[in-house]
Amino acid sequence: MSSEPITDLLSIDQGISIPDVLTRHPEKIDVRLVGERCRYNIRVQREDLDAVRAASALDLPDKIGASSATQDRKILCLGPDEWIIVAHMSEAARLRRTCRDISQEFTLSTVDISHRNVAFSLTGSLVANLINIGCPLDLAVDRFPIGKSTRTVFENAEIMLLRESKTGFYLETWRSFAPYVCSFFEKFATATQYDTNT
Amino acid sequence: MNTFRRPGRGRTHPEKELRFSFDSKVYTGYEGDTLASALIANGVHLVGRSFKYHRPRGFIGAGSEEANALVAFDRGPGRKTPNVRATTIELFEGLVAHSQNNWPDVKFDVAAMNDMFSVFFPAGFYNKTFMWPKSFWDKVYEPAIRRLAGLGPAPTQPDKDHYASTYGHCEILIAGAGPAGIAAALAASDAGGRVILADEQVELGGSLLSVPQAVIEGMPAWQWLENSLEILRARENVRLMPRTTVIGYYHDNFLGLVERLTDHERSPAAELPRECLHRIRAGRAVLATGAIERPLVFADNDRPGIMLASAAQTYLNRYGVVVGDNVAVFTSHDSAYEAAFDLSDANVRIAAIIDLREGVPEALLEEANNRGIDVTTSAVVTGTSGRHRVRQICVNTMKNGVVEGGAKTIICDAVLVSGGWTPSVHLFSHSKGQLKWCQRVGAYLPDAPNENTLCVGACNGTFGLSNVLEEGAKAGGDGRTYKTSEPLSGTGEIFQSVPTDRDQTRIKAFVDFQNDVTDKDIKLAVREGFRSIEHVKRYTTNGMATDQGKTSNLNALQIASKAINRPIEQVGLTTFRPPYTPTTFGAVLGYRDGDSFEVTRKTSVDMWAEENAAVFEPVGLWRRARYFPRNGEDMQTAVNRESAATRHSLGIFDASTLGKIEIVGPDAAEFLNRMYTNPWTKLAAGRCRYGLLLGEDGYITDDGVIGRLADDRFHVTTTTGGAPRVLAMMEDFLQTEWPSLDVWLTSVTEQWAVIALNGPNARKLIEPFVDGIDLSLKAFPHMAVKEGKICGIETRLFRVSFSGELGFEINVPAHFGRALWETLYKAGEQFDITPYGTETMHVLRAEKGFIIVGQDTDGTVTPDDAGMSWAIGKKKPDFVGKRSLARPDLVASGRKQLVGLFTEDPEIVLQEGAQIVADRDQPIPMHMIGHVTSSYWSSTLGRSIAMALVKDGRTLNGTNVFVPMPEQTHVAKIGGTVSYDPEGARLDVV
Repeated sequence: MSSEPITDLLSIDQGISIPDVLTRHPEKIDVRLVGERCRYNIRVQREDLDAVRAASALDLPDKIGASSATQDRKILCLGPDEWIIVAHMSEAARLRRTCRDISQEFTLSTVDISHRNVAFSLTGSLVANLINIGCPLDLAVDRFPIGKSTRTVFENAEIMLLRESKTGFYLETWRSFAPYVCSFFEKFATATQYDTNT
Repeated sequence: MNTFRRPGRGRTHPEKELRFSFDSKVYTGYEGDTLASALIANGVHLVGRSFKYHRPRGFIGAGSEEANALVAFDRGPGRKTPNVRATTIELFEGLVAHSQNNWPDVKFDVAAMNDMFSVFFPAGFYNKTFMWPKSFWDKVYEPAIRRLAGLGPAPTQPDKDHYASTYGHCEILIAGAGPAGIAAALAASDAGGRVILADEQVELGGSLLSVPQAVIEGMPAWQWLENSLEILRARENVRLMPRTTVIGYYHDNFLGLVERLTDHERSPAAELPRECLHRIRAGRAVLATGAIERPLVFADNDRPGIMLASAAQTYLNRYGVVVGDNVAVFTSHDSAYEAAFDLSDANVRIAAIIDLREGVPEALLEEANNRGIDVTTSAVVTGTSGRHRVRQICVNTMKNGVVEGGAKTIICDAVLVSGGWTPSVHLFSHSKGQLKWCQRVGAYLPDAPNENTLCVGACNGTFGLSNVLEEGAKAGGDGRTYKTSEPLSGTGEIFQSVPTDRDQTRIKAFVDFQNDVTDKDIKLAVREGFRSIEHVKRYTTNGMATDQGKTSNLNALQIASKAINRPIEQVGLTTFRPPYTPTTFGAVLGYRDGDSFEVTRKTSVDMWAEENAAVFEPVGLWRRARYFPRNGEDMQTAVNRESAATRHSLGIFDASTLGKIEIVGPDAAEFLNRMYTNPWTKLAAGRCRYGLLLGEDGYITDDGVIGRLADDRFHVTTTTGGAPRVLAMMEDFLQTEWPSLDVWLTSVTEQWAVIALNGPNARKLIEPFVDGIDLSLKAFPHMAVKEGKICGIETRLFRVSFSGELGFEINVPAHFGRALWETLYKAGEQFDITPYGTETMHVLRAEKGFIIVGQDTDGTVTPDDAGMSWAIGKKKPDFVGKRSLARPDLVASGRKQLVGLFTEDPEIVLQEGAQIVADRDQPIPMHMIGHVTSSYWSSTLGRSIAMALVKDGRTLNGTNVFVPMPEQTHVAKIGGTVSYDPEGARLDVV
């Protein structure tokens, strides 16, 4: 074994690039690939929730479908005992530490899923229409209000969806499903360019 | 100017003249025309030949109910659609269409002799005649029949168009934009909530478009229509969807709508979708789908020029086109009078009105008299003549329902028929709403709905403009009343079939025009014992054509009911199924073609493999590199090279697709004890164990290596294809059987890219890159796992081997997969590192006798069958499948057991799936004792190897069995499954 291990930082490849057509008319459709993020799946028993919140300083929302957000971090409550945390890389070290610490203190599960998902940020006046080509949910803003999050489907892919503004969504899918989801976006955006009605 | 135009009438735009071609002849029409109205304006009525008898056919309707006028709509190469109703094609400059089902042309069609010999082609004829000899059916009869019968040919080129699909939601979806639908939309949108108003036609308005003389709220109908649409357009909560057919009505108010986007345009942008499938969830559906006029069934009622009275009225009032110069009318319903009067007012001679009824309302007779139209009541058309178009009709009078002799001949060039109206209950019926027979209308009407549905207007049996508008408004949520005046909406009688004085066996009175089903076919079906209308339908094919019997179902039902001599309610009604009108496959597919057809999951190393000429194979949804041919190698040569490199130096393999589940919690080990056959409690952190997963039936369902990262944390691997199933099975047990266990499951399949390095130089390659893990033999033995860093990236490093060589599986976060692969590949050049694919992986593992679940097992193999009793924790109180393993049939002798199989001729590679017999000389059918599950050429061993499931296989060790293959039967000896390095010495090569 050599004494000095080689530690060249390896480059990130999320396995997908965004076609030009998805950013050509940003007022209508603007789809951006979100860069590397630190993600954790956290499973907490309901009776421990308050204590875990206090110990971790993580704002784990109460209701399924609710979310909380700071500049650097989103937390989505997707199930009765399930939260997904998505943090900027600047927060990654701290989040890892927090997860390790609460794992020692409480009966819960924290699992690093940073690279499991690929995220898209979608904005524009047609963004709900764009998502609705594959997602059967009612995305009217009074039915799917700002801050609502859910795990749902987009055609044959599972996605995680969060509404961040009236015309802005955050969408994640498993890494290998991302090109499939994006292929639908591309087709819709291409057709939309030529559609004088939109 | 077209001969049959009436300037000043209709909604077409004479200032915009359009040229189009039909059967290669150029005509002109106007913007706003359909192909049908434009052809009629040019005096063209013969547009096709019928399905079975090749009889000349023209237009019967003016809308989507059209049964006859099916044409090939040619939008250029790869864009030719057969069997399109000419009545629904919007005219544009340069439109090209052709008639179908004729040779050499529509006027002289050779196969029309089918008509002359039709006595030989009764219902069920094909089934009865062409059954013998049976072998002739596929090769002779069926192809010949298909050539002669049928409609337009299926396209031969791939569809060049693309399509769209989307989901949508609304509080109220209204199907049909006639007066009822528009009134419903006005009311519903006033109340708030999202409203969708969809109509299959290009213009919204439905029947109002055909009756400009009606008055609503003091306004001419068209003015009211324009005002109403203006209001609706201005409302943000309303979506008007013309050219959109509601094709199906499914569970929970889920409706399918197909919107036609570009078919009406001369040269739409190539990027635009042709059609869009809207999948709409509606709070409530309001069905305002109207009614379709019913033809009368009489001899030779199918000649071009014979059409529904309402169609003629639509052609006149909507398109400004008259259907003839000298028109006869044959009716049992008042509404045909209206068409006759409109035509008369447009200077068309009405040759006669022949009314089946004895009593006709005085007002109608008076109106007719005012126009000088001759009305004959209690009369019947008993025949028609005219080769390519009706030229005359025979009319007889009736007394007490019996036809009297002495037919009178009336010369005419068109015949308008009306047998009353059939409410369009299709969508209501799709939604499983119940129908009930209504004697007043002579049709089935909506009864109890199954969904949140309201039917309004003619589809609900409601006639009369103010009634219809008010019913629509009420469905939309308000109680407003409408003042209207309109031509009499009228009454009529339903005749079960039109009486005749002719020999009924010698005439053809068509019921289903598209499938050429006649009145006597239905009677024949009844005579032959069919009593249910469902059986009559299938025997005669009535209502089974692309129009699904829109104009024929009720007539067929009435004829059958009379023949069976039972009330209609007891004969039943055939079921309506989606789609309402023929729908393109493209629309059903929507965006889901090409890359979007199905998910193709690719690993982070996949692009590298593609760049390095890998040949791929699908495994579940994944595509995996199968082998990496160099310099034009075939698969076997490549696999030989890849195997040798791995055994002798170093192979690199992308194992990222392996399913991975992280199991965390204080009860994690206990959970695994209950799920897997093996014991987990004593497995130390940092060590791995092979796990075998059974179903409750005791059969092997999955396997994989499981590493313990900490007391409360396991990294479970599953087969590539089994990952979602195993996770679901685990969640199922955890949530329903053992909710008290404190343990959580998280899929991490995609979190980790897995690079497998196998071969004696594997350790040497990775040593310089690894940080924080002592890789020495002692500190990191076979079946160990450690967390550390590689190239500065966190890794879960497994020392495992699916090849039998020294092996490592390096897990790194997936987005680093390719970069790490490339780094290792470059560094591995010193060891002649060789990428290998799934094929070599299979060979290497087979040499070691490792099973692949799903290949060497088939869902009926127990651990003992597979020779893996060692994987069962004997002291464990329970695990999934344990109880089944004690079942008498699972412990009895005679089960198939996994064994090795070695051909006598080492060059012979057996076929996977080949059957195995104990005695090759036994009589056929031979007794099969097993089959080959895995078989390869092993370049390492210089011979073929195979594994097989053989009855009591282990007791047959050393005996010869026989494997019949296409060329010859091969002899093979049963042996052990491990062919290479049985001691496992290669795992610890330093």
